[in-house]
Amino acid sequence: MTGRGEVTTGPLPIGQFVQLVKQTVIRDPLFKNQALRGEVTQWKQYASGHTYFSLRDKDGQMRAVIWKGRCAIDPSIKEGSEVVVLASLDLYIQRGEIQLNVERIEPVSILGELEKNKLLLVEQLRKEGELDRPRLVIPTLPRHIAIITGAGSAALSDMQRLIENRWPGLRRTVIGVLVQGPRATEEIVRGLAAARRLSNPSVAKKRGEPPVDLVIVGRGGGSPEDLWAFNLEPVVRAIIASPVPVVSAVGHESDILVSDLVADLRASTPSDAIERVVPVLPELYYLLDEFEERLSVASRRQIHDSKQLLSILHARLRVAPMAGLNRAKAKVLALSSRIQISTNQNLGLQATRLAHFEASLSAIHPQRVLERGYSMTQTSDGAVLSSVKGLEVGQKVILNFADGSADAEIKNTDEGEK
Amino acid sequence: MSDKKQTYTEAIQRLEAIVATLERGGMGLDETLKLYEEGADLLRLCKTELTAAEGRLNELQLGEIEAELQTEEQ
Repeated sequence: MTGRGEVTTGPLPIGQFVQLVKQTVIRDPLFKNQALRGEVTQWKQYASGHTYFSLRDKDGQMRAVIWKGRCAIDPSIKEGSEVVVLASLDLYIQRGEIQLNVERIEPVSILGELEKNKLLLVEQLRKEGELDRPRLVIPTLPRHIAIITGAGSAALSDMQRLIENRWPGLRRTVIGVLVQGPRATEEIVRGLAAARRLSNPSVAKKRGEPPVDLVIVGRGGGSPEDLWAFNLEPVVRAIIASPVPVVSAVGHESDILVSDLVADLRASTPSDAIERVVPVLPELYYLLDEFEERLSVASRRQIHDSKQLLSILHARLRVAPMAGLNRAKAKVLALSSRIQISTNQNLGLQATRLAHFEASLSAIHPQRVLERGYSMTQTSDGAVLSSVKGLEVGQKVILNFADGSADAEIKNTDEGEK
Repeated sequence: MSDKKQTYTEAIQRLEAIVATLERGGMGLDETLKLYEEGADLLRLCKTELTAAEGRLNELQLGEIEAELQTEEQ
């Protein structure tokens, strides 16, 4: 009977050793899911469905196996093809040989072909003017977003979580499609068509919801081939034809796809799309509250100012009649004094003129003339004689002097020659 | 359907203008009251818009939504 202890002290059985090596090899993350590039040799597809080959370049080579149904194999791959594989290291215990378990295999020429087609499509779109066509405006408040992406994908749950953080309960319809593989293109196009139908007001009415007014189409990061559907003409044309704005949200920051070039908005990732189109609801409410506050404060102040103006006017109105009365009184006073002055002046003038007349009158009074040595002759019956004519010799006359009179008798008359 | 969104944006712009005018001051009581009422109406409109965006969350496979639309479009 040989115990386990005895074995371990002696030489290690090769089978155990190979198994130990295998454990170490398959556990090392460095050897898992590596993308490797090389040339295919000894390419053999067996009836069992497994495919065996070697991957080599000028510096080295390794055996590789594609287990039955593991991945699609491009029929163009043959002896001498340049390929890229996604593979993990394994150890075939029976032979003690290290080999690559291949998960994916793509001919390099296919990728080159795809790149060429992408460039041709971009060139064609540029010629048609689609690259600089006017873009649709992204709604400020999306009422109903359609999200076209992989059902159950990490990208979708990131987007859902972000929307709930920003605008809990924002109306949205997720359309789950295949976003990679041979059917991806067709499904994305059908997804966009469904979103277009949801944007039709009459359909939306039947469904009892607002029409879709924004579409996000995208997926998370992956290899260039994984994202390739977004570089293909059917998807690109469906985005261009959309009656509502489309956001292209594919892959990582550095991935630029044709869908990005034609969409109404390019988001660098699905999460970026949400951040760019979904507003933060509490911020919107905050803005409205702020407006409400400013509106009411400003209006109140304005009303207060108007009231104050009113009370000032009121006060002025109260004193206005008194002021008017005072002004009227002052006016009457001024007028009456002016009347008095002008009356006085008038009276003075009249007095002066009167004195003047008096002086003139007194100068020509007969008494004054007599005082200066003249005398006045009257007939006996009192008539004043001013002419020699009619006098008779012997006629009695009275001579009047300033201080008395004398009776006289005409002795003769002499009518002057002069 | 984008009219509604324009309305919200326009309402916000108009609100800004109204508040700025009121804050600058110098208008009569009549105009103040008119502006205040307009502002209050716009605020109500904006709040309605915000609540109107909340709704159902549909998560459907492509085939399911296509089937739904098929029946609704008949």
